[in-house]
Amino acid sequence: MTIVVGALVVVVILLAILVAGLLRSHATILRRLHELGAGTELDPGVRVATPDPGTPTTTRVVPRTDGTVPAPSPDVPDGRPATDVSGVGPRGEAIAARVVGVEHDTVLVFLSSGCTTCLGFWEDLASPQLPDGTRLLIVTRGVEEESPSAVLELAPPGATVIMSSSAWDELRVPGSPFVVLAHGPSGRVVGEGTAESWAQVLALFLRAGGDGRLGSRDKAGADRRREQELDRILLASGIAPGDPSLYRSSDATPADAAAAETTPDAATEER
Amino acid sequence: MELRGHGLAAEMPPGWEGAISLESSAGSVALAEVGGSLRPVAHLATFPLPSDRGDFGSGAVELMRTEDVFVALLEYDPAEAGTELFARRGLPRRLDPRLFSPAALQRGQRGQAGFQEFFTQAGRAFCLYVVLGDADDAHLQVRRVERVLAGVRIEEL
Repeated sequence: MTIVVGALVVVVILLAILVAGLLRSHATILRRLHELGAGTELDPGVRVATPDPGTPTTTRVVPRTDGTVPAPSPDVPDGRPATDVSGVGPRGEAIAARVVGVEHDTVLVFLSSGCTTCLGFWEDLASPQLPDGTRLLIVTRGVEEESPSAVLELAPPGATVIMSSSAWDELRVPGSPFVVLAHGPSGRVVGEGTAESWAQVLALFLRAGGDGRLGSRDKAGADRRREQELDRILLASGIAPGDPSLYRSSDATPADAAAAETTPDAATEER
Repeated sequence: MELRGHGLAAEMPPGWEGAISLESSAGSVALAEVGGSLRPVAHLATFPLPSDRGDFGSGAVELMRTEDVFVALLEYDPAEAGTELFARRGLPRRLDPRLFSPAALQRGQRGQAGFQEFFTQAGRAFCLYVVLGDADDAHLQVRRVERVLAGVRIEEL
């Protein structure tokens, strides 16, 4: 019995020495890593192991949102599947935009409110000058990571802005600004990358054969602005939608005018 | 792809997209500023929805191609639920193509046809407004609309 107890004591002492050695080695590794700068801040764009107490270790991507974008990860294949984008708008509206299995192509511009390089993109995207048949979606990270009011302040008039962290994760966006071109019919990513300015992104489109198709969107925008201006003037003059005078041509006969005035109003007021 | 917000939800078939926002008319916004509340508006479409659009789809229906369809679901004051205008019970999920007409369009566009129906569901008052891109293809396009309506849910608030 004494021999057995003695043997157990020896085993315990040996194990204690082994554990102490392992802890010391671990501490040395941590100290060296700390000296190299790791752990002082999250290294965005790099896959980071995040210990989650009580659950198996998970891996997540922390994209850069500071205007610097690392090189695309080598394990991101060309022609990979794109994804539809669901999220909320900066005004709180729910939005689900179809990207896959549609006739149009989609340019997804991933921006953040905090990166200085993105500022130029926010401004330039007020007039994106995209080829016909190409839709623009601006995607920021979700409301848990971005301020809706800051995004709303930056959002160009008329642009669709979706706050969706899942879109960043699913498309493996490494940082902002970052642009993904999705081919609608095939649902595949056909181009992606970053640039210093939106003009550089457009230049890539032109090199891809998109020149000659620019400009018609501007024409539509000009028409819309002209129509809004006319509406404003008419309303200021007391002429509301449905006013009979809107349906009377300059060469109408008195009978025509009378008929126009008896036209029933729409069943529901335009909201 | 599912869309959810403000007590509305829609599971969208392939090719459809949507948005659920709060009503945007100047009158409603003015009322909200003095204590009223803005009510939700859901837009479902087979084409890219522009961000600037009216509650009945102005700004969007102009972009429709002949093969496209547009659906708006607009909530009204809950006090209206069950009243004569909103007497119909439940969202219409089967539609009669013969009831679609250019005269029902809120914003007339050549070749399009519209339809609207008021109803009450879950104690809430709604208007369903539908625009077909091609009035001559109403039978086929209405089937597409019915497919998306099958996935719409209205929750009690």
